[in-house]
Amino acid sequence: MISRPLRTTFRVLALVLGLAYLLPLLWIVLTSFKTKQQVLTEPNGIFFTPTLDTYANVVGDGIGAILTSLQIAIAVTLITLLIAVPAAAALARRVSVGWNRVITVFLAALLVLQMVPQPMTVIPLYSVLASWKLLGTLGGLIVADIALLLPFAIMLLRPFALAIPSALYEAAELDGAGRWRTFRSLTVPLLSNGILTVVCIVFISAWGEFVYAINFLPQGIVLPVSGLLAQQNSTYSAEWNSLMALAVITSLPLLLLFVVSQRRLIAGLSLGAVK
Amino acid sequence: MSSLVTETDAGRPTGRSALSRLLGRTPIWFLVPAIGLLAGFAVYPLIVLVRMSLSDVGPSNIVGEWSFIGLQNFVEVLSDDEIWLALARTIGVALVLLASNFVFGFVGASILSVGGRVTETVLAVMVFVWALPPIVSGSAFKFLLDDSGPINSALDAVGIAPVSWLSSPDLALWSVTGIIAWAALPFSVLVIRGALMAVPVDLVEAAALDGAGYWRTQFRIVLPQLRPTLGILAILTVLYAFKSFDFFYVTTKGGPGTTTNTLPVLAYNTAFSGFEMSTGATIALVSMLAVAIFAVPYIRAVRREEQP
Repeated sequence: MISRPLRTTFRVLALVLGLAYLLPLLWIVLTSFKTKQQVLTEPNGIFFTPTLDTYANVVGDGIGAILTSLQIAIAVTLITLLIAVPAAAALARRVSVGWNRVITVFLAALLVLQMVPQPMTVIPLYSVLASWKLLGTLGGLIVADIALLLPFAIMLLRPFALAIPSALYEAAELDGAGRWRTFRSLTVPLLSNGILTVVCIVFISAWGEFVYAINFLPQGIVLPVSGLLAQQNSTYSAEWNSLMALAVITSLPLLLLFVVSQRRLIAGLSLGAVK
Repeated sequence: MSSLVTETDAGRPTGRSALSRLLGRTPIWFLVPAIGLLAGFAVYPLIVLVRMSLSDVGPSNIVGEWSFIGLQNFVEVLSDDEIWLALARTIGVALVLLASNFVFGFVGASILSVGGRVTETVLAVMVFVWALPPIVSGSAFKFLLDDSGPINSALDAVGIAPVSWLSSPDLALWSVTGIIAWAALPFSVLVIRGALMAVPVDLVEAAALDGAGYWRTQFRIVLPQLRPTLGILAILTVLYAFKSFDFFYVTTKGGPGTTTNTLPVLAYNTAFSGFEMSTGATIALVSMLAVAIFAVPYIRAVRREEQP
């Protein structure tokens, strides 16, 4: 259907498109292996002796930040999952007319919450966390992150939960399995693909979140990597090589996930992304 | 939880209200943790935001008594030119994003819907960039677009004068918009590509038999089929423009001067750099009104998709 010359044009155009996305990434990585001097004199130099000094410095100074990021991202991912999986399962079961109405209202609320811009939540959350004595604590930041990511996690999981045939639930009920039992041994295993997608997305988002981090953690405490990156960015005498090394470290979890489960991640995202 | 189920199944004990009987048969308990957390840390803050906009709150009384001052903040904010300028900039960003997401999105999706290793790799790279934390891609572009950064030194090499991408008051807004468009395009390509693949093959083949060329078929036959998807994409794009904050924060922080203050950036800067919490809250609420206008058709569209 598509003629041969057109196919060739497409391949070329696809390559151009790919380069438009690959080149900036390449430049981050290249710059992170340069010395400060090399970046200043020749920002576009491709041939140079790569050095790991920048990484050694950044990791040496920022090991605390990396540990903080890990704590935040793991806690946020686990708790979000614990709350989102049952919620998504419940929102996919049409058990009665009244419940259908609850589902509709809740879904609309989730959509609205997802649309609220983050600068709009950071202002009131600042005072809410302050009055509950959570401001300046990791716990407060973690709770704020969960509230930010939970609506998205539930919406992403729900299509997977909807795909479970209700006949399976009826069979489980006939076998005398209780709600909890059904959830544990039927719903959760069947949701494993969706859960994997959500784990990836929530972990990456929590790892990269910086707006809450720089406002809710006190000055002087160890910021997560993303917060450190945001902070370094605002100093005027930017050391680009350290900045880019930090950027590479900030994207490491995503890179790892991509290497491990790129296909499933893209498929899962395509399913849940439109909502 | 299981005791609740058996109780309900065991012939409805008297004295329980109709409501609790009704709820007993539903998976309500699975929803309670989500409701609790969102009520406390997502819905309640929005109520606080409204209270803040009706009070006089600064850094000294953020924890403590807020004096109620009615609509005074709104009068002040709406009579200031700054918010209207910010609204105009936000709309400008939205229009550029719409154009980019539709034109490049459709062409890109068409190109990438032809199978093969090249397209698969390109798609993977694009999705990777889309999933990258904005703080990372923002930092990268801050470096690339710096006055003495790689892009300017590349321009210099071919004899073009350097451009102040992020430090010129006239250009900065559009440079950042360009970055946002770049970062948002993969999503649009992914969504449109998904819809393209779902267009019935015989429809396209019939057009080809009639002698219509590729692009003619794409625009005349395929594009109209995508209308529902494009509708949702349009709303999401506008919402994205009204939400976009990270890239501005990383690259310009609203500057130079106030030339890249869009609504979310203005709200944030007012609250956290100017420490006028209640003015910031008021700007936030005004811009959420704009978001709400687009929210209604979006929720309708999503619900329509839900019903088979």
